[in-house]
This record gives sequence, C-alpha cells and structure tokens, in this order.
Amino acid sequence: MNNRFLERPRSFCALGGALQTANALPETVPVMHTAMGCGGSIFWNQIGGTGYLGAGYCGGLAVPSSNVQEKDIVFGGVERLTEQVEHTIKLVEGRLYIVMTGCMTDIIGDDIQSVVKQFRQQGVAIIGAETGGFKGDGYKGYDLVLQALFRDFLVPKPQKVKGKVNLWGVVPAQDAFWRGNLNNLRQLLNKLGLTVNSFFTEFDGLDAIQNAAEAELNIIVSDYYGIDAARVFQEIHQVPFVSYPLPIGPSATNDFLKTIGARLQINPETVDHVIAGEQKMYYHYIDRIADAYNDLDMQRYAVVVGDGNYAPALTRFLADDLGWLTELTVVTEFEEPERRTKITGYLDNLSSRYPVELIYETDASEIQYHLARKWPAFTGQKFYDALSPAFVVGSHHERELAKSIGAGHLTVSFPVGNRVILNKGYTGYLGGLALIEDLFSVIVAER
Amino acid sequence: VSYIEQKEAPKREDRLGACISYGGSGCTLKKQFGGGCFRESSRGFCQGSICQLLPGTSILYSLPDTVVIVHGAIGCGGAGNSQGASLRIEQIRKGNSNPKGLLWLSTNLNERDVVSGGEAKLTETVLEADRRYRPAAIVVLSSCVPGIIGDDIDGVAARLQPQVSAKLLPVHCEGFKTRIMATAYDAIYHSIANHLLEFEEEDLQKPLIPDELADATEKVRRSRLVNLMNVSSMTLGDEQELIRLLQALGLEVNLYPVSAHPDQMKYATEAALSISSCPTHDDYFLKYLEAKYGIPYVLKHTPIGIANTNQWLREIAAFFNLTEVAEQIIASETAELNRALEPYRAGLHGKKVILSAGEMRTLATAVWLQELGMEVVAVRPYHYDQFGEVELDKLLEQNSGIPVNVATAHPFEGANLIEKLKPDLYLGHMYENVWAAKSGIPVLPIFGGVVNTYAGYSGAFDIARRIHRILKNPSFNRRLKENVRQPYYRDWYQAEPFQYIRAGGDC
Repeated sequence: MNNRFLERPRSFCALGGALQTANALPETVPVMHTAMGCGGSIFWNQIGGTGYLGAGYCGGLAVPSSNVQEKDIVFGGVERLTEQVEHTIKLVEGRLYIVMTGCMTDIIGDDIQSVVKQFRQQGVAIIGAETGGFKGDGYKGYDLVLQALFRDFLVPKPQKVKGKVNLWGVVPAQDAFWRGNLNNLRQLLNKLGLTVNSFFTEFDGLDAIQNAAEAELNIIVSDYYGIDAARVFQEIHQVPFVSYPLPIGPSATNDFLKTIGARLQINPETVDHVIAGEQKMYYHYIDRIADAYNDLDMQRYAVVVGDGNYAPALTRFLADDLGWLTELTVVTEFEEPERRTKITGYLDNLSSRYPVELIYETDASEIQYHLARKWPAFTGQKFYDALSPAFVVGSHHERELAKSIGAGHLTVSFPVGNRVILNKGYTGYLGGLALIEDLFSVIVAER
Repeated sequence: VSYIEQKEAPKREDRLGACISYGGSGCTLKKQFGGGCFRESSRGFCQGSICQLLPGTSILYSLPDTVVIVHGAIGCGGAGNSQGASLRIEQIRKGNSNPKGLLWLSTNLNERDVVSGGEAKLTETVLEADRRYRPAAIVVLSSCVPGIIGDDIDGVAARLQPQVSAKLLPVHCEGFKTRIMATAYDAIYHSIANHLLEFEEEDLQKPLIPDELADATEKVRRSRLVNLMNVSSMTLGDEQELIRLLQALGLEVNLYPVSAHPDQMKYATEAALSISSCPTHDDYFLKYLEAKYGIPYVLKHTPIGIANTNQWLREIAAFFNLTEVAEQIIASETAELNRALEPYRAGLHGKKVILSAGEMRTLATAVWLQELGMEVVAVRPYHYDQFGEVELDKLLEQNSGIPVNVATAHPFEGANLIEKLKPDLYLGHMYENVWAAKSGIPVLPIFGGVVNTYAGYSGAFDIARRIHRILKNPSFNRRLKENVRQPYYRDWYQAEPFQYIRAGGDC
C-alpha cells in the first residue's frame, strides 16, 4: 500500500476488496454500512477493472446497503444499520451475512460488532468487518473479511484432519483470474491426495468453509495477501500456514508442489510422480508450439507490470520457462521495506539467472521514464540495439506504454478492461499453457 | 446568481424538493409532489446505489486537457475504469487512432490523513499534477472523507492558483450530503460558473482602429449562436443528430459541458440562446447564464422520440422566429421517418415495457414507446422533480394510473414489479439491467451505445429498430433465468413492492 497520491489506482479500496471477497464466497450476502454511492462506485470499478465481472448472486446494485445520510453521520448510523440488517435477513436469502463498513461509518465510529452480535444471538449467521476505504486497498479489505470469517464464523476444531488443507492468497476481483487460479492449484493439490477448501471457487461450499479449522495446514499462495488473516487463523485455531509466491508455469509449480509435499510429509515419490505427469502434459503441448516459437522468433524483451503476486510470478515464468528477456519488472505497490526485500530475494534466484531490474511504481505515465532510464534511447544511430521485439504484460493502463515502444501487450493485472475473463487461470501447468496461448496469440494477431 | 455566489451548490432536496423514493400511481405523485411530500422520503431496506460522485466524474473525466484529482480514499473515482472505457471508444469514433486513457489522480487519503487532515496531501497532488502533466485545468473533486474531516478544497485551490499554470476547479461531490445524484450537475456548473467564464484581459482588447464590418459580421454570427447542453450519457451520434437539426435551422452550435475544453467554456457567455436537451441536467447553469449574461434559454422538452423532438425543435425555432422553417424540417423528417418505422410497428404493438434510468431519459423514452404503440406498464426514474412533470403529464394522458417507482436502481423493487407486471421488455440504465435479465426478459440498455443514436429522429428510428432486433431472439436471458436465481425469498414477489418506502416531507 502506497501512502502518497496515486495515478489511476490499481486497486479497490478496503471496502471494495471486502465486498468482492464476500461476493465471491458461496451463499453469502454482504451488507454494506456506508454512504449510498459506495455500491455503485465499486461496481463501476469492478466491471471495467475485472474483465467484466458482473454482479453475481447479490452484488452490483443489489448489495444490501444502509446508505447512511447526513443525519446518520451526525446522530450515528447504528439504528439505520440495525433496521437494514433486520430487513435484509427477511428479504434476501443467504446462509451467511457479512456486515462491512465504509469511510463514513468508520469515521463516526459506529459499533457494528454489537449490532452483529445481537443478530448472532438470535441465530443469524452474521459477521462484521471494519473496512472503511481509507484503511487501505482492496487487498487489505480481503484480509479483514477473512479475519472476521476465521474469528467469528469458523467452528472451533481442536482435532485436525490429516490431508485437509485450506488455500487462499489470490484476491477475488483484484485478480481477475482468481477462480481459475485457485481451481488450477486446487486440482494439483488434490492430485497430491489433499482435500482442499479454497473458499471462492464453484467447488467450495459454506459447510466446508465452516469446518476449515480442522485443516492441518493453511496454504497461502502469496507472500503478502491474506498473511495477516493466516496469523489470526493460527492464533485462534492453531493451524499453521505456509506461504509460497503465486506459481505460474512448470518451474514455479514444481517448486510449489515440492514445498507443500515436504511440509505435509507427503511421500516424495508421490510428489515426484505428480510433477512428472504434469510436466509430461505441459511439454506435450509445448512441443506443439515449439516450431512457431523458433520459426517466428518468438523470444521477446519483456516489461512486466503487476501487483505483489503477479509481478514476480509473471517474471519468473517468462524468464525461466519461456526464455524471454525480462528487462524491467514494475511492482505497482509496496512501500514496506520487508516486502521489497522478499521480492528482490525471489527474483535474484531465477533459474535462468536473467538479471531483472526491479522498480516500484504505480503511476502508469511514469513507467515509460523508468524504461527510458533503463534502456538507452534511440538518438539517430545507424546501428541501434533497440528494445525490440518487446512485449508488455501489465494492466490495460500499459496499452499506451506498449504502443509507444512498438511492443505487444497483454492485460493480466488489475485493471483488466480490454479482456473478458470467465474461468481462465494462469497458475500451475495448465495456467502456463493458457498464458502462452494468450501471449503468442497477440504476436500472431495480425498475420 | 445568488446560488453561484455561495461556496457550494445547495442540495437538490432543498433547492427543488426533489424526490428519491416513491411507489404508486403517477397521478398521485404529481399531486403530492406539488405539496412537497417527498423531500425526506426514504427506504427501510436499501441497496447500494449511486451518489453524486459518479455522474460527477462521468462529466469531469470527459474534459479534454484536464486532470481530475479525486480527493478522498483510494476507491472514490475508481468508476473511471468503466467511464474511461466509454471515453476511449468515443475518441476512436472521433477518428483518434491513438486514444489516451483518461487521467485522474486519487489523493489516497489514509488513516493518518483522516486524523490530521488531507489538505497537505491535496496541495502536493495539485502541484505535482501541474508539473507532471501541464494540463489546462485541474479539477479538485471532493468526496465524502474531506467533507467530513473539514478539508477546505476551495481554500486550497485559491491558495495554489497563483503557483500553477492550470486553472483550478474545486468541485464538491461529497456523496453523503445529498441523496439526489443530479446535485452533481449543479456542483460542476457551480465551479464552471465561478472559474471558467471570465475572459482574460488580453482577450478583451479592442483593435485601435475599429473594423466595423468585422464587428457587424460577429454580431450577426452571435445572433444565431446557441449553446447546446449535452449530458455524459449521450453518444457521439446523439450530439451529431441534435447539431444536424439545429444547423438545419441555420444556427451555429457549441456543445457544453461534456467533452468541452476548459478554455472554451467562456464562449458560452456569447450565445443568443442556451438549449437544454435534458431539463433536469441544466437549469442551475442556464438560469445563471440568463441572470448574469442575459442569455435566454429553452428548458422543457427532451428530444427523444418524434413528438418530443418536434416540440423541442419548435420551441427553439419560435425563439428565432423560424417557425415556418421548423415546420418544413419536421414535416420532411417525420414523413421519411414514419415510412422507415412502418416495418417495425406491428411487432412492437402492444408489447409491455418497464423503463428505469435518469428521470428525463426514462420518462421521455416512455413517451416515445407509447407513440410506437407499446404499453408502458411502469416507469422507474432515478429521481423526480418539477422538470419531469412535462413528460409525466404525457404519460398520464394515456394512463392516469401508470405505476411510477422513483428509485435510483434498487433492483429489488424492480424484480417485484417485473414479476407482477410481466413486461415483454426492460429498458434500463447501465449495470442494473442484469436484474431484469435474470427475470428472463429481453433488455435494451437505455442509451445509444457505441454505434447507435438515441436522440432526435435518427435516435427514434434506432430505438425502434433495436427493440425489434432484441425481441427477435431472447434466448440468452431466457436460459439465464432457468439457471440462475435472484437473491430474494419467494414471498417477496407476492409482497407489496413499495412497502419499504417511507414518505417524508411537508405533507
């Protein structure tokens, strides 16, 4: 999270992230306790930022919301919230209700937890999170809702079940590919013999979520997102967690599976067997495109722009699996030094040893200047070593950068407004193939 | 004039007694609105809606050569991810092969700023925006948080103005302050009136030797110069259609405020007449232009559909004593149009329809669909005020009991009405149409879209043609209904649709 002003922010606010998280949970109804415009504002952002993600079950302009007004701000909004919840549970069918606050109600300090408690005592499955927009970005809102879920919805399970794990760290809607990304990893973990609860996919249900505390391990496929929630989980339910950077493609996914296997003391032969099978499948398809890669010279200089999950993950895949030249990697957030150290450490250890220049910048219009500093400009030389052919993998804000350097462009990180995303994911082996399909399709689009 | 001299535009509940929640018959609405019954109306169950920031950014983001600073938390202004896409498409349609993403900044107010105030961060942002982008104007757009922590955006703008080359435009769109999102129009016009209408001294210098011929030419030109007020939901096709009609009357047209360059706004003070295409959008500004600059205005009809476009054109022509010319235009346009509409009429006849969107667009479109022989079974305008009465009256002529549901989206009321009234078609605002779609009925978005026209005669044709097309194959929404459900319990559909609405006001 940056503290200065931002050009075209690449994130929802905390309330937005909280709302996306609630909307992505099965059979869950969000109740916003906020001003009347937050619902619309978040939805307009979501449609254009998350690959045309729609309202779903009870999102968009249907989200129950207290729509507090000036008089509520003056006299307090608890009464309005109580009335709103009362009517919501009567009108809107859900097995879990999540109350979340916005800027106004956090500033005036409405005590939503006492409202939530009062309904819980009546037997309503309801939790609450203070997620005022000024508290942080969408990633923060995600973490805060998970914390509330772990604290107040999960059934305590002192007895852990061998082979059961929970999976998170991919943030709904901040990552337009979240369902596909979780699904790909979920299937791989299943192949290791694990039972997986991943909260946000079509294969997850509220019963499994409620029993999540009986897992033996929480797997966070991010070094940053959902980590605070993992600590809360550990503290309350005594389930340890392992965090591993989002794995895209075979190199990273091999390591991911080995890490999980070792941590859960799965027979190494089982792990190796799964990896071998997946690699075989992956290279079966790579074999199909190897001609084009070599005949059309599909190696590219790459500029990668993305959040703390995508920037390192895409860079590693492009450098280590695809043999691209990852000249500049732009992480669009993170002022915290410890987070920066972690990313640097990750990118210093690429198997390709490709030297990546890593910068932190969120303002799209500034990235071209970073690139100009990195790569000597054309000044009319007869023989000029151009950054060409090049490719920019970023958000739709990077379209202009790509155009200015004559590069191909694929939108992966938020905001994603020039692609429609359904069930696609880029994680794992299948995700690597999907990403290659999308990248190479851009390269041949004008043929 | 007195409003403009105040620091902020008043909210529309106060200025116009505008109504935000109502359910009942149109004739009761008309009667009781006159009595001021609805100023404080509200709901006991609400759904996430739209505040004035959203229409605010949709206009301000369109201004060329302008950087918009949304002063607030990181999420406010994020609608730009959708609004920017529409603006980008417009640029491409206008022939720009290298369209730019719109430029806006968030001051990204955090917990520390909430405690210690956001003015320092705003100052830094304004100075850096001026240095980095060198725009003609910088908008300082206030959202909820600065409104509650007491940041003085007008003071900051006034203090910084001498230090920057851009014109600074403070605009107040604090979402919690009004329930009528149309207050945003007043807020923007308020800032334009205060900051962009004055000519610089060098503009006003007269040549030493007067050029009488040039002066006379200019005088004639200005006697035929009009301000056409556009709205952000218009398409390029809409603007071209209305300009075409005004040019047919021999008028020269300038468009304000959407997509108008900040440096050009001042020429609005030179026109002979201001013309609204959406009365509830423009009254605040047009009344000011009349009071301060003596420019009369027309502000009554919304040029959607044949009868409305005719009346709109007649009113303008009457001002210029061009009634005969207007009648000739109307006769030739409508004769041709009616022939073109012939193949669609039978298919549209008797089809039931519900409409939902901004006040004028909803009501005026409903009038047009009635003309086309469709049966308007309910209208759901986003708010209601005195400007809607002209169109409501036309609807009441056909059906005095027509159900009116004043609601800014609130799809739960819409879902109930759809279940009860069983329309064949729904025309709704962007991003609420899915709730009609999930009821299984075909939907026409109530705007021109990328390639279509909505306003004027060509718009009247396009609306009919598109409805005819959409009714041809409604399989997508039919299948959708079979496979996904709405979130409400079954008994909601049997319940009274307006039971959560509370009247409130000066009854």
